[in-house]
Amino acid sequence: MEMNAKQHKYGMVIDLDKCTGCGACMVACMAENNVPFKKDESDNKRDSITWMRVFKVSNDKPYPEADICYLPRPCMHCEGHDGHSPCVSVCPATATDYSQETGVVSQIYTRCFGCRYCMAACPYHARYFNWWDPVWPEGMEKYLSPNVSPRMRGVVEKCSFCFHRYQLAMEKAHYEGRAELEEQEYQPACVQACPAGAIVFGDLNNPEHRVTRIVEPDPHHHFTGHSKKALRLLEQLGTNPKVYYLTERQWVRKALDQYNFGSQAAAH
Amino acid sequence: MKLDRRSFLSFVIGGAAGTAVTPLPWKLMDDVSIWSQMWPWTPVPADGAYTYVQSTCTLCPGGCGIAVRKVDKRVVKIEGMAGHPVNDGGICPLGLSGPQMLYSPTRVAGPLKRIGKRGEGKWAKISWDEAVAEVAAKLSDLRESGHPEQLAVFNGAGRGTFSALVDRFMTVYGSPNLVRPATFEDAYEMAVYRMHGQQAMVGFDLENANFVISFGSGVIDGWGSPVRMIRAKSLWKDRKVPLVQVEPRLSNTAAKADRWLPIRPGTEAALALGLANVILSEGLFDRNFVDYYTNGFEAWRKMVLDGFTPEKVAGITGVDKDFIVVLARDFAKAGAGVAICGRGRGATPGGLDEAMAVHSLNALVGAINRKGGVWTLPGNEEVNWPEVETDETAANGMQRPRLDGAGSGTFADARSLPNRFFAAQADGKADPVKALLVMEGNPLYTQPGTETVKKALDRLDLLVSFSSLMDETAAYADLILPNHLYLERYEDVAVATGMATTVIGLAQPVVPPQCNTRHAGDVVLALASAIGGPVADAFGWDGFQACLEETLADDWDALTEKGYVVHVAQPSHWSEAFPTASGRFEFAGGYQPVPIEGDKGAFPLVLVPYDSLRLATGPAANTPFMTKTVGDEVLKGKDVFVEVNPQTAGSAGLGEGQAAVLSTPRGQARVRIHLSEGIMPGLVAMPGGLGHTAYDDYLAGKGVNVNALIGPVEDPASGLDAAWGIQAKLAKA
Amino acid sequence: MSTKDDHGHAVSGDTADKKGGATILLFFILGFAASLAIGWGVFPKLLYSTKPQPFNFDHALHNREVGDCESCHFFREDGTFSGVPTLAQCTDCHADVMGETEDEAIFVNEYVAKEREVPWYVYSRQPDCVFFSHAAHVVKAKMTCESCHGDIGTSTSLKPYQENRITGYSRDIWGYSIAGFKTHTYDRMKMDDCAECHEKAVGSVDRAPAPGVVSRHFRQEVVPAIYPLDRQAATGSSVQTRRDACFVCHK
Repeated sequence: MEMNAKQHKYGMVIDLDKCTGCGACMVACMAENNVPFKKDESDNKRDSITWMRVFKVSNDKPYPEADICYLPRPCMHCEGHDGHSPCVSVCPATATDYSQETGVVSQIYTRCFGCRYCMAACPYHARYFNWWDPVWPEGMEKYLSPNVSPRMRGVVEKCSFCFHRYQLAMEKAHYEGRAELEEQEYQPACVQACPAGAIVFGDLNNPEHRVTRIVEPDPHHHFTGHSKKALRLLEQLGTNPKVYYLTERQWVRKALDQYNFGSQAAAH
Repeated sequence: MKLDRRSFLSFVIGGAAGTAVTPLPWKLMDDVSIWSQMWPWTPVPADGAYTYVQSTCTLCPGGCGIAVRKVDKRVVKIEGMAGHPVNDGGICPLGLSGPQMLYSPTRVAGPLKRIGKRGEGKWAKISWDEAVAEVAAKLSDLRESGHPEQLAVFNGAGRGTFSALVDRFMTVYGSPNLVRPATFEDAYEMAVYRMHGQQAMVGFDLENANFVISFGSGVIDGWGSPVRMIRAKSLWKDRKVPLVQVEPRLSNTAAKADRWLPIRPGTEAALALGLANVILSEGLFDRNFVDYYTNGFEAWRKMVLDGFTPEKVAGITGVDKDFIVVLARDFAKAGAGVAICGRGRGATPGGLDEAMAVHSLNALVGAINRKGGVWTLPGNEEVNWPEVETDETAANGMQRPRLDGAGSGTFADARSLPNRFFAAQADGKADPVKALLVMEGNPLYTQPGTETVKKALDRLDLLVSFSSLMDETAAYADLILPNHLYLERYEDVAVATGMATTVIGLAQPVVPPQCNTRHAGDVVLALASAIGGPVADAFGWDGFQACLEETLADDWDALTEKGYVVHVAQPSHWSEAFPTASGRFEFAGGYQPVPIEGDKGAFPLVLVPYDSLRLATGPAANTPFMTKTVGDEVLKGKDVFVEVNPQTAGSAGLGEGQAAVLSTPRGQARVRIHLSEGIMPGLVAMPGGLGHTAYDDYLAGKGVNVNALIGPVEDPASGLDAAWGIQAKLAKA
Repeated sequence: MSTKDDHGHAVSGDTADKKGGATILLFFILGFAASLAIGWGVFPKLLYSTKPQPFNFDHALHNREVGDCESCHFFREDGTFSGVPTLAQCTDCHADVMGETEDEAIFVNEYVAKEREVPWYVYSRQPDCVFFSHAAHVVKAKMTCESCHGDIGTSTSLKPYQENRITGYSRDIWGYSIAGFKTHTYDRMKMDDCAECHEKAVGSVDRAPAPGVVSRHFRQEVVPAIYPLDRQAATGSSVQTRRDACFVCHK
């Protein structure tokens, strides 16, 4: 029941030339969002739930021309055409939804019945299925956050742009009689943790926000970044993602455009 | 009226029809859906008031500020402290994992006494009084027998009040055998001692440098204070400050550097001198600094000009000679160039010649005590306690040579040589120590040459661990006196590693102790009091907190409120900057590479360890979250992958993912092969931080501890461990 | 019961048929009545178990003493709502026994003295997937406490807590009417009840049109054509439902 006339479109830009692959965004996300873990997460990484996953991309050139680049991949929160992102369009349970208010693609775990159509529809593999009930080692459930509901077996989960942080920030704003948030009031956990300052987050509809100034999204051309350095994964599919990437390295741009990470991709 | 088939059916139909107009089916359906959406076994975290406690992370010497998020009395998250001079809101994977340690089932629940064989895992719970009495009894025995030096302490805590307390305890007790784990800073400090004439820490003003050459340092792989270094790297990118990474493997740092310069491992010092050669021969050095503030320049210059021409250096290092010239010019002309060394995370000291060559290179361009350069910093300024009064026993004990030989004879300017300590204790030729207290350390895992460490521990009468978690050393101990975790105790972090300013951080109790633990500082005070006499008299405090409050005095209020204070270092006047015999900076050093261990014939390859921020190699081990981020090309199931160039693997008949046996003179292990074009042929790279035997199933048994395959190699110039690898061979499994 | 002979003529005749029909009808009615009795009478009693609160609490008395709801159920500085007071809050006043009631004695002896939080059963406890912002409703939308919580503030005793044996939540969520009927806004606290109010609020908002021709066409032409009755709801932020987006009330 947000009675703000303003529409927000929260988005992210990740500077791949700054990302060091340290993994802080992944751990910050897991800690923030009560992401479960198993004794062995290595056997099949597709079953390993990591809302934010850092891929290692290789240029496949021989020594010593070899180069690698890290690619943090949250949910892209695709806008598609007017919010008809690939996953939202196929969900038969109204368990995932696109909000015109914030531009966030939500996932309601209690609504999901686990058909996994959305996973098949997502070209970024950003969605994960709970094949098991989450189990925390004895006593460790003490650190679970009340702001994010722990998931049960049989449902799909994914990055929410830490939407609970928006909820909490709005709660404070309401309490203080404000209708709008400051840029810094709503920042996802990965953005906050990143030691390299490689991730910038904000409202792409707000020309003052850093993310908008960096990307300069073009509303007449499907919100493609005006900035020469900015690009999106699988731009040609028309998913209209709200996560942009920056890089000056040509081989990385090429790999990203195809979402093809060289021979090493499968292993990560 | 009898109930036949038809009337029964009628009854049932009536019942069904009736039921349909009651709420029963619809309500049941609704309730069952709610039940199935909210299984009672899915945890529901309790809500409450959200608060933040400003504290300091002590899991590595980085000294990051943390803001610990709590819900009522629980810790739910650790975030980087915004505005902190070290990390300004950023945080590393280990720092983020704190809550998984705090609430880990692998924590030591209370004082334990071994009842089975060493390492068997059979324990009896004892009271704190019993635990302290037992250790105090052994310590009193050693003192009464006139051999207080038979007590040793391995202290991995940073330079803070706690370490000062341990120093004081050892002095008044009478044992010189206080051992600290050695890092690249030890080699650096020794270089500074020889060249500046002062015992000082080094800080690097990297934020203000405009050209950086890293001789194998993992700038974004954990070197120095990891978050601060990553921030510096981002700053360099914004300011277009070039970073040249010199190392044989395409590490994350090499990949992010503006130029990756693969070099034959172990020849870094030669390259540094080769760069110096070009700078000297082209007259690009800082004449003002060299002319007015240095000594020994001519001799050193001759040595460099004669011995390290680009051609010769290219031959030694494998780096293109033209590029050596170009790099040297760019570096010298940048105006605020700086070079750093210490491989990977800098967990092993490395050769003294390397530190001295790199430091000379910095001196040559004037990058000493200037903006963007290397700074010398005083140590712990806060501790100003009165001198201790020792008795004769203590005085005699302190006169005896240290087991590791540091501070006397060949290694007069060394302060602590852990590699020599464990080797001497293991071979038993010197008088071994009888009791060892391990504080904030896990030498049985972290020291290269774990077999030697184990042998050394076997020769002890009493091994006491103060670990909060059941790590390898604790599991092998006779007694465990568990310390509070850093989220449960006060502790000051006196200087953040590698910073050019003095930042003092305070770790504060965020939650009450979760287990029956005691602050190690309080235990040291209790031991002193139990031993009695002058040992007890040296400590006038009721407890560690009182000691800390008194020591930090004026800073205490600011520290408890904000979590840190900054002391802006007053740069020493040039006339006092170099208290050497000449009063000037001494150019010294050359290229004296220390050969690595092993026979090249039997072991044709070279194993080198590498570091990653996703794998903790220090006393704080990987948490489940961190292990989850480790890639499939590093760890799969129980198998660790070693990186090998396809050319090297091919000649051994090995392909991607294949199992192999990796052998070194120290041992052998089952590994799997990961082909990588990002590594020099002939090398085998293995990540540190795996192969734990302690902890739980989320970590134990995964991969191989690289320290079990590599041993220390003593640098004759410093006594420190100069090993950067070991000869190795790979065979099909 | 009628039977037929070989030639197909009815043997028993109309009377037998009538009698049989009546019996069948009787059994039908019996079955019907029994199931009504079970469904409306027995089922609700079986579905809920009554749990006693730790001790009685007099809202009316406290309301008189402190003057308003907010003194005990207050907003924290960060805008979150404190909900049921913690022991520390209570002991601000109740360090010692204040009144003479038996309940007060239980409270002080069993909880204050032993420093145990009172394990209240909370009538309005919602499932973990629900995000509810008191600030949005009370401060921003200026709703009263009564619109959702009813007249609990004027009650002198806590009503029995009826726990749903299947779901574990209070009967107050579904409402006391087993049929789910309600006469007041506070009679039920299920998602539909939230949605009902939200839909009204959303309908009254003049939302800025989404950019793009496709979007306008879809919203203004396609949606009303497919869902003629849903016209008013077609202004919500949700792409799926045209109502408020799911993340407004879910976490």
